[in-house]
Amino acid sequence: MSEITNYLSPCSLDDAVRALADGDVTVLCGGTDLMPQMEAGQREYASTLMNIRRIEGLAEITLTGDTCRIGALTTVSEILTSQLLDEVAPVLVAAADQFASDQLRNAASIGGNICNASPAGDMIIPLLLLNAVVELASWQDGAIQTRLISLHEFFKAPGKTVRQNNELFAAVLFDKPPPGFVAHFCKPGPRPALEIATVSIGIGGVLEDGVFSDVRAAMGAVAPTPIRARRVETTLEGLPLNADNIRAASVSAGEDATPIDDVRASSWYRDHLVRVLTKEVLNDVLENTN
Amino acid sequence: MNKKTIATHIEKTTLIGQRVRKPDAADKSTGKTRYINDLVLPQMLYGKILHAGRPHAQIVSIDTTAAEQLPGVHGVLTGKDVAGLKFGFVRDNVALKETVRCEHDEVAAVAAETEEIASQALGLIKVEYKDLPGVFSPEDGRREDAPLIRGDFPGNKSLHFAFEHGDLTAAEAESDIIVDNVFKVHHVTHCCMGTSCAIADFDNNGKLTIYSQTQYPYNYKMDLAPALGMHPGDIRVIQPPVGGAFGSKLDVYPYEPIAALLAKKTGRPVKVLYTREEEFKSAPTRQPAVIHMRTGCKKDGTLTFRSADVLLDNGAYTSWGPTIPVVMMRTVSGHYRVPVIAYNAQAIYTNNPYAGSFRGYGNVQTTFATAQQIDMLAEQLDMDPIEFRLMNAQKPGERTPQQAFLRECALDKCLTTAADATDFVTRQKEYGLLRNSDSRYKKGIGIASSIHNAGGAKIHKSDGCGTMLKVDDYARATLITGASEIGQGIDTVISLIVAEELGIPVEHVTLMNNDSDLAPWDVGVHASRTTFIAGEGARRAAVKARQQILNAASTFAEISADELDLRDGFVVRDKEGSIVIKLEKLLRQMHFQPEPELVMVTDYYEPNSEPEGADHISNMSAAYSHAVHIAEITVDTWTGEIKVDKITSAQDVGRVISRAGLEGQTEGGIAIGLGYALTEDMQLEDGMLKNPCFRDYKVITAPEMPELDLHFIEDGCAEGPYGAKGAAELPTIVIAPAIANAFYNATGVRILSTPLSPEKVVRALILAQQADVSSSDSMATAAVS
Amino acid sequence: MMSLKTQINFKLNGQPVTVTVPVTMNTLTMLRDELDLTGTKYACGEGECGACTIRLDGKTINSCLMYAVDCDGREVVTIEGLKSGETLHPLQQAFVDHGAIQCGFCIPGMIMQADYLVENNPDLDRARIRRGLEGNICRCTGYTKVLDAITSVVESRE
Ligand SMILES: Cc1cc2nc3c(=O)[nH]c(=O)nc-3n(C[C@H](O)[C@H](O)[C@H](O)COP(=O)(O)OP(=O)(O)OC[C@H]3O[C@@H](n4cnc5c(N)ncnc54)[C@H](O)[C@@H]3O)c2cc1C
Ligand code: FES
Ligand code: FES
Repeated sequence: MSEITNYLSPCSLDDAVRALADGDVTVLCGGTDLMPQMEAGQREYASTLMNIRRIEGLAEITLTGDTCRIGALTTVSEILTSQLLDEVAPVLVAAADQFASDQLRNAASIGGNICNASPAGDMIIPLLLLNAVVELASWQDGAIQTRLISLHEFFKAPGKTVRQNNELFAAVLFDKPPPGFVAHFCKPGPRPALEIATVSIGIGGVLEDGVFSDVRAAMGAVAPTPIRARRVETTLEGLPLNADNIRAASVSAGEDATPIDDVRASSWYRDHLVRVLTKEVLNDVLENTN
Repeated sequence: MNKKTIATHIEKTTLIGQRVRKPDAADKSTGKTRYINDLVLPQMLYGKILHAGRPHAQIVSIDTTAAEQLPGVHGVLTGKDVAGLKFGFVRDNVALKETVRCEHDEVAAVAAETEEIASQALGLIKVEYKDLPGVFSPEDGRREDAPLIRGDFPGNKSLHFAFEHGDLTAAEAESDIIVDNVFKVHHVTHCCMGTSCAIADFDNNGKLTIYSQTQYPYNYKMDLAPALGMHPGDIRVIQPPVGGAFGSKLDVYPYEPIAALLAKKTGRPVKVLYTREEEFKSAPTRQPAVIHMRTGCKKDGTLTFRSADVLLDNGAYTSWGPTIPVVMMRTVSGHYRVPVIAYNAQAIYTNNPYAGSFRGYGNVQTTFATAQQIDMLAEQLDMDPIEFRLMNAQKPGERTPQQAFLRECALDKCLTTAADATDFVTRQKEYGLLRNSDSRYKKGIGIASSIHNAGGAKIHKSDGCGTMLKVDDYARATLITGASEIGQGIDTVISLIVAEELGIPVEHVTLMNNDSDLAPWDVGVHASRTTFIAGEGARRAAVKARQQILNAASTFAEISADELDLRDGFVVRDKEGSIVIKLEKLLRQMHFQPEPELVMVTDYYEPNSEPEGADHISNMSAAYSHAVHIAEITVDTWTGEIKVDKITSAQDVGRVISRAGLEGQTEGGIAIGLGYALTEDMQLEDGMLKNPCFRDYKVITAPEMPELDLHFIEDGCAEGPYGAKGAAELPTIVIAPAIANAFYNATGVRILSTPLSPEKVVRALILAQQADVSSSDSMATAAVS
Repeated sequence: MMSLKTQINFKLNGQPVTVTVPVTMNTLTMLRDELDLTGTKYACGEGECGACTIRLDGKTINSCLMYAVDCDGREVVTIEGLKSGETLHPLQQAFVDHGAIQCGFCIPGMIMQADYLVENNPDLDRARIRRGLEGNICRCTGYTKVLDAITSVVESRE
């Protein structure tokens, strides 16, 4: 068993990325994924444990021009109560409302949710709809360097991302969606919230004169990573949002999804849910634009 | 506020049926209460158990050397240390195993300075197993070629129970309608919020003090003793506050003797406390079963017979679970008037976790079957569903074929009360007509009822309870009873009763019931018996004390004792309410007189019932009660989710004593019943639990709780205290079939297995649609049960 | 495993405290084992039940999931810190009065969360209270009396 020899709680991004550059570090944010994974022996600590919650300036939600930026430390509660997000990206707020419980939302960070790379991560689905990009910061050549990578390319496998060990997830950014853009998120379960998604679905687009365009669809817990549902998107793009096309989209959703069996649901049921929820979300979109 | 004016007259009031604060609530609200989980004794060591983590295996070798050598470890035990120390209902269990028969089987145990060291030591124990083929369902277990789980139980056969009454063949022949189904009920577990815990400590005379969560301290000693090779008399049981029990602490489970054996070995107090994962894997379950039931009736609606063939999954050891057929049988044979009965129940050993007792005790399982079959018959007869039930409902004074004497019986009132409150008949028709509409959400309403023992259950030689009561010179009363407090509120009930009889404030009553060296005999908190039996014992003791006090007052005031009453801390004239003397003053006068007298009384109350007996023909409880639940639900036919909108309950409680307590028990019982019906499910794969956490084992939370409309029928009871009956289990018992019946009403599809989970619901609906036989129940259900 | 220890300072129920804790210890364990505050309960250790709910800088969190080191410089309030002097906190009193307490094991966490809800929601109705308690499991009460108790406090506030 490896031993922790160093505990850091940097106050600046600068200090944090420098520490990361030195190698072997476990990043701790809210701890709501890290703590249970460690306790269950699913992971091991690196030699340095770095608590990033004291870093200044990383917990802000801002809009600069058309670009919205959510700092890594922003909690799900802060997303839920953000006036700004309610205006620019209500679908993200809606997903935050279906996230665990108050106690979890108050601790859980958006950075943690994304870096944990669970196929069921609830913040990820709406962010995929928003064509979000991830900002990674690292220390190179004596300065902070950042790189941007599109969120849908960020995930590799359950718990695995393209983030390098020396990189800190600094923020997630997205452009304000076009006027008329509506999106809905849906996660079923007997409980409103304290429920890891058996599947989750988000679909958005611009509905003008009955025609659906700029269609974006994403799904959680139906593949090793959260995915964009490309077949659903093509099925709907540029077509009227009517009963026939909704039915077709529901079939496409089943093709996009490659769910597995686990204790929460069988693949059969997940497949079924994906289809019916696609209908539900599209009906919601219809209702809310009329 | 300081009230200085003293009234000269005190009116008669009663506490019975009032809302009284639970005595321990204030401390529980502030975090001050020291639960057993919080207790730390000086020098205490922490015990940890190595569980097998495989369902069936021979232990080839165990090497504990490294664990023993770890600094901070004080003792390690394995199977060879407990050889011959068998315990359990049929002596089929030992604290530490040499053969593994289920996933959680205890293989070794360590006592160490800290939990961390103990856990680390477990990691150093090397065990070599030889895995054996397992049996994971009772159906498989009884096959001829099934692997034998224990040599001493051929055919994997555990307990068997049977009861027959009347001529089945004739009854079948005269039946116009027979419903015949196989119901399947699943594994669930108690999920006490306080995980299992025991702290054991030996004194140097060899006497064991065990701090325990037990809910039956006296028989507990008897059951624990053989696991330790001790005499029960050398065991003292202390019961600190516990985080729930619900039946799970009605037996001895291996961690308890393990704590004691480690304490003995190390000479220091040892605490064993489960993690939540251990709790899920190792705590007892509710008994799963396969119930083949048939019920017949004539065209005019008269029931003709009922037969039930029950196959129980015993699990690896025999705790209380396999004894539930005794209670199942009572519901099969009673409740609605069934003249002919054929009942047969066989438990089969498997390599699954084993069942203990759990709130509802068998009746949860049977009622799922009986109440659905009654519903099916009502429909097939095309009779008014309430009329049909009323016509067959047993009436006061009737006896069941098993000779349960329904001296008071309010089933008809329960039925009409609940039906009227919900406009049941009309709504059921309306929803039934809408069932084939193509709307996504469908509404349904369903009714179910059951009977349960409500005056104890004489499954032991005695079903009694001992009580001691003293009233001191300050007019404070202390009542010592064998009845345990596990959160259910017997403390409130007893304080209220003593206060009622002695005319003192409830806060002036202290209850002592957590030390077996102090408290007299009681058989434990189970069978909805405690308010009835310990409450009656408290009442009888309080009446004796009251009489002694009134006699003394009579001498003092020269007024006849029956013209006096005790109110508000005073002796008063019964009619006028005028004050005669302050109670404390009288008590001191009684004490400090030439022939001094203290108020100290005892009572042993044995309810008027008969032992269960091997033929199962007896009036085993001193009272019986009924409950009717009506569930109103909305089915999401897309996702399969069932939302319970409202539960209306009508229950015969005899008389309400502690109102808030009774409501709380009913509401909590319903929540546990809802979890059973809908969301809770121990997912076992070859005996291994796949969901040992609240994330995947879903108990009901606040947002899922439906609106409740509770009706208590208070028709009294000749035997219970102030006319009260036991009440705590029925709310859990009746709910699942009410929901299943509502589901049928909403969709025309029957689900014959618990839980009605979203996935199962969707499958059933799709299957019914595909076969286009939504009316043919068995087709749809065969695949989903 | 001997875990690295570090010293932290924070305010606990209004009083400054200094403790040295292993960096991997969770806050629940620190409160219960190091600081003897056993009112906060362990019932799952996985963020699912809310029995370990405390306030951290005014917000409720599950102390079983939070690293103790993260308390450094912050303000922590536990169930023991809710009562002021002799008198019960209005929510504690309401839970007692409404019969919302049976075994009581879930209650400290339940009351901490209820207090947070009442404080942070100007328009708190029964439906919102239900949702607000979604992270707190009670196996005894069926929540009805808990909802009654909290509702009564909300109403008396108006
Ligand atoms: C009971 C319970 C319920 C839950 N319910 C939900 C739910 O409904 N929906 C949902 O989506 N999730 C849920 N989760 C999962 C979890 O709460 C979230 O994923 C949360 O957002 C993680 O954030 P955190 O700050 O706690 O992350 P941490 O646990 O601190 O970190 C998570 C991972 O990300 C890494 N990390 C964190 N921040 C950074 C960073 N800035 N840069 C690089 N790496 C970083 C950490 O090293 C770690 O590997 C639940 C968890 C629990 C215990
Ligand atoms: S113990 Fe922390 S949420 Fe259950
Ligand atoms: S009162 Fe027992 S768990 Fe809530």
